[in-house]
Amino acid sequence: MQPDPWLATVFWSSLTIAFYLLAKRLYRHWPRWWLMPLALTPALLIAVVLAIHASYRDYIHGAGWLLALLGPATVAFAVPIYEQRALIRREWPVLALGMVAGSLTAVGTSWMLATALGLDGTLRLSLLPRSISTPFAMQVSQDIGGVPDLTAVFVVLTGVLGAILGEVLLSWLPVRSALARGALFAIGAHGAGTARATQLGREEGSIAGLLMVLVGLLNVLAATLIAALLHS
Amino acid sequence: MTPAHAASIRLRHALHHSRPGQMALLAAFWIAGEAVVRLTGLPLPGGIVGLVLLLGLLATHRISLCSLRKGANWFLAEMLLFFVPAVLAVLNYPQMLGLLGLKILAVILGGTVAVMTVTAMTVELASRRRMRHAA
Repeated sequence: MQPDPWLATVFWSSLTIAFYLLAKRLYRHWPRWWLMPLALTPALLIAVVLAIHASYRDYIHGAGWLLALLGPATVAFAVPIYEQRALIRREWPVLALGMVAGSLTAVGTSWMLATALGLDGTLRLSLLPRSISTPFAMQVSQDIGGVPDLTAVFVVLTGVLGAILGEVLLSWLPVRSALARGALFAIGAHGAGTARATQLGREEGSIAGLLMVLVGLLNVLAATLIAALLHS
Repeated sequence: MTPAHAASIRLRHALHHSRPGQMALLAAFWIAGEAVVRLTGLPLPGGIVGLVLLLGLLATHRISLCSLRKGANWFLAEMLLFFVPAVLAVLNYPQMLGLLGLKILAVILGGTVAVMTVTAMTVELASRRRMRHAA
């Protein structure tokens, strides 16, 4: 029996939103890493999908429209970027240096670690853009011949793990400036990291928001260029 | 003051107080970005093109931050929700639950520690150097 598509949309969408709101509330009271909305919400949803013998196709038909909201969310970054224009004008050489160093490290270490562990082909390619935020990462993955779906999963894992790792690293590394603390989270763990940086302080948060967008753009442009060079 | 001018002022005023209106405006920029991508074949996500369009209008004072800030803050605060459906794609790859998943986890953990350390130290040292030169 085929369920009513309208009913399916309402069911999966409201379930997603309800779990998300629940996770947000729990995390506000108990800030443990496994209660992070980006970790707990998908975990609960996967449990439901498996429990009622549904499939990814059923789920994405019902709640996939939420992904489209990443479009206007990307546009929304114009506001913090514009608000921080004085800071960007003053600190752009330092920020640019950090973005290039971070991106090269991300691609280089992913490639080397994947190779060392015997991962190759499209899997290795799909791992390369995982440090940048989802819409950018999926675009880059497509450009370099990876699987965008798979990259999306790696991006989210990076975000959840990165938000936790960032805290630990900050207590070990001798970094004091808000600039460096924001950069650590934005370039290492994109959106989830930026959300974490916002909790450290206003300045850290806005630097992270800005860098997350810029490093995403930088990677998309670099991947486009590389893809164009390879195909010419 | 012409009636059209008065209407435009009233519309702007209403937009400054309406979060749904501002959200619709942001969505309109995204749709415009998608349209540009489709027409020109630019290899960028439509959202990025919309972002650049909006930054251009902000920089030339054609649009003010007051007509966007509430809507933008909402989108940025709830952004994690929009990522959730992407994670469910893991259901398509049951083989990731085994040894392969552990290897992938190792790549992600190792890579992320390296990226964070290199980025934070580069920015910290570069900004200290700049401050010393400025002083």
